Amino acid sequence: MTEQPDRRADTTRQQILRAASRQFARRSYSLVSLDDILADAEVTKGAMYFHFRSKHALAAAIIELRFVVASASVDELLARKLSGLETLIDIVYLVAVEDISDEIARAGLNLLESIGRTDGLQADVLGQWVVAFAAIAGKAIKDGDIISDRDPHDIARILVSMYLGLRQTSNLAEPEQFLRDLENMWTLALPGFVDPDRIDYLTQFIKRRTAVAQKKATPLAADALG
Amino acid sequence: MVRQARSEATRKKIITSAVELFNEIGYPATGLGDIIERAEMTKGALYYHFDSKESLATAIIEEGSTRLAEAFRNISSSSAPALEGMIHGVFVVADLMLTDQIARSGTQLLRAFGEFNDVAERTYSGWTAEMTGRTRQAIDEGDVRAELDPQAIGETIVGAMLGVELLASAITAGADVLQRVTRAWQVLLPGIVSQESLAYFEEFLARESMRHSPAPLAE
Repeated sequence: MTEQPDRRADTTRQQILRAASRQFARRSYSLVSLDDILADAEVTKGAMYFHFRSKHALAAAIIELRFVVASASVDELLARKLSGLETLIDIVYLVAVEDISDEIARAGLNLLESIGRTDGLQADVLGQWVVAFAAIAGKAIKDGDIISDRDPHDIARILVSMYLGLRQTSNLAEPEQFLRDLENMWTLALPGFVDPDRIDYLTQFIKRRTAVAQKKATPLAADALG
Repeated sequence: MVRQARSEATRKKIITSAVELFNEIGYPATGLGDIIERAEMTKGALYYHFDSKESLATAIIEEGSTRLAEAFRNISSSSAPALEGMIHGVFVVADLMLTDQIARSGTQLLRAFGEFNDVAERTYSGWTAEMTGRTRQAIDEGDVRAELDPQAIGETIVGAMLGVELLASAITAGADVLQRVTRAWQVLLPGIVSQESLAYFEEFLARESMRHSPAPLAE
């Protein structure tokens, strides 16, 4: 019997997080009010304050939630035991497809950009991404795909920077174009750190990933806000 | 709950002991008495879970083929194009057979019992259906030639890989199975892959094979 109220509280919390993600995925942090989220989630103000003390706390919880989900997807990709560089490419494409199609994923990165600077959240989350990417890039050096005198941390930082930059310069609402831009980003970057003999194959590998991602990605509906 | 967990642990212990003995002295030479002794259990405990050596063998076959099928499905249902998943998935299954005793023992028992046991029919037709479905997708993606019959391709790949496993077990006790898998794909690819994709897949296979050699020693 003691489980019941907990489970209900958990459902309410999820409901609030989903409604907030719907808002933050489509509008900037400052334009979203707690009242919008309350109306969308169909919960009382009291319930909301029970779970989240402020809009900022709610936003931080979405960033955290997204990070946990994304880390699990990365573990799944690693379990597939492809080569290091192929795994890195797959991870970036996966992040892109979810960024295009999934509200929590989109909201997570939007919020990381807007509120992440204030309390070290951005440095913390991106720092962990860089560490994870660097470990995989290290494996790619052992595989012989990445030139051996390159620093895996440098490569990891560049890949994270390029993706975050692409979110600004391209348009997530246009999946075909966004994924083509992502492909260009990769093919332009490869000669900087990949063994010249491997570039032709990896360029094909990337093109094939673009084709699959273009089929899979469906943009968020623009009119989903109540 | 506690009782269930204990019973499950007992069942696992019996299976592990049986697999060890089958690997050491072979299925025919292993008696239920040996299994009871190895598992440090009473006759009653064993009979509670399995009513005969055959039912124990069936459980091992089922557990082994579930593990292999799950490993394959995890790979082939990924975001990768289907033919990449098929090739990579077969390597992952072969790898698992080298490292997972139950998977290996299950495969061997399946071969020994195939004709008398309906688990064999289920397992083999499961693999064929899975491979045929992936082939259909690969045709849609333009990697496999559209004029070919997906069912025939699915059956040929499954048949070839089962044969590869049989030869490797018989000739080198499984040690060179990954090299044999590579060679089988080298022969199959030109027959099924479209002209535009063939060069890519030859490279894909070469990389896959390089990552798997030298073959890890079986434990």
